[in-house]
Amino acid sequence: MLEHEGGRNVTQAMSLTDGHDVTRRKMLIALGALGVAAAGGLAATPGIAHGQTLGQNESVEEALKRLFGGKTIKDGSAAIKLDVPLIAENGAVVPVSVTVDSPMTPTSWVKQIYVVADKNRIPVVTRVTLAPEAGRAFMGANIRLGESGDVRAIVEQSDGTLLQVKREVKVTVGGCGG
Amino acid sequence: MSDIGKVRLRVPPSIKSGDVVQVRSLVIHPMERIERDPQGKIIQKNYNYINKVIVTYLGKTVATFDTTQSVAENPFFSFTFKATDPGQLKVQFLDTTGGRYEGVADIKFS
Repeated sequence: MLEHEGGRNVTQAMSLTDGHDVTRRKMLIALGALGVAAAGGLAATPGIAHGQTLGQNESVEEALKRLFGGKTIKDGSAAIKLDVPLIAENGAVVPVSVTVDSPMTPTSWVKQIYVVADKNRIPVVTRVTLAPEAGRAFMGANIRLGESGDVRAIVEQSDGTLLQVKREVKVTVGGCGG
Repeated sequence: MSDIGKVRLRVPPSIKSGDVVQVRSLVIHPMERIERDPQGKIIQKNYNYINKVIVTYLGKTVATFDTTQSVAENPFFSFTFKATDPGQLKVQFLDTTGGRYEGVADIKFS
């Protein structure tokens, strides 16, 4: 019997009883096996390789080193607005949004926004690659937080400058097995 | 289970040419988290989660989200785009098992 770690996320869309969960899990394992088989047959499943390189079980220091090398990350509190709740009652669903003050023109735009949760076992949550056509440097997502800790937004601008802000979030019930 | 891959896209009801429009998207997906055996060792398998979200407008990629298992179940993403011409906004979600889920919205000016 496998064990889920952390709190189980029971949302409205998927309220599952335990019995259902087992069947779902079995089903997903079966699906996973299919996926592996497909990956073996076709060399071209770039998504899988990509996901593994971005999200790894590592410490946040290792993750930052891997993503940005030795580049310095400047404080970006003047330009970046990181919107996270101060207290997250349910760590399984935490809304996060990042807005960056940027003209978003073809000569100066925000290339990438990273969301990093320091205490998660997989610290890199998402990397958003934007084009100037986005009009505004904005992203929002619902993330998981394993425990209380910093959440950072790291922004890479088109000229290569890295900026970051971080905010501490207190988590009442953790929601992250990863 | 049968709901997996259902995509919902929300676009504001009235859009004017040149507006920067914020869109909200949601996909029903389990986003499996890492499981461990009783000894605490990670079970190696191909976890089923969304690892890429691609937003295209008028055939051009506006935003790409590379996501990991630290994203919540039934993931929700929002983003903006600059509405220059009427046309199609498409959001594609790709998961690690090769699943591909799509949501399309027609952008019209009022």
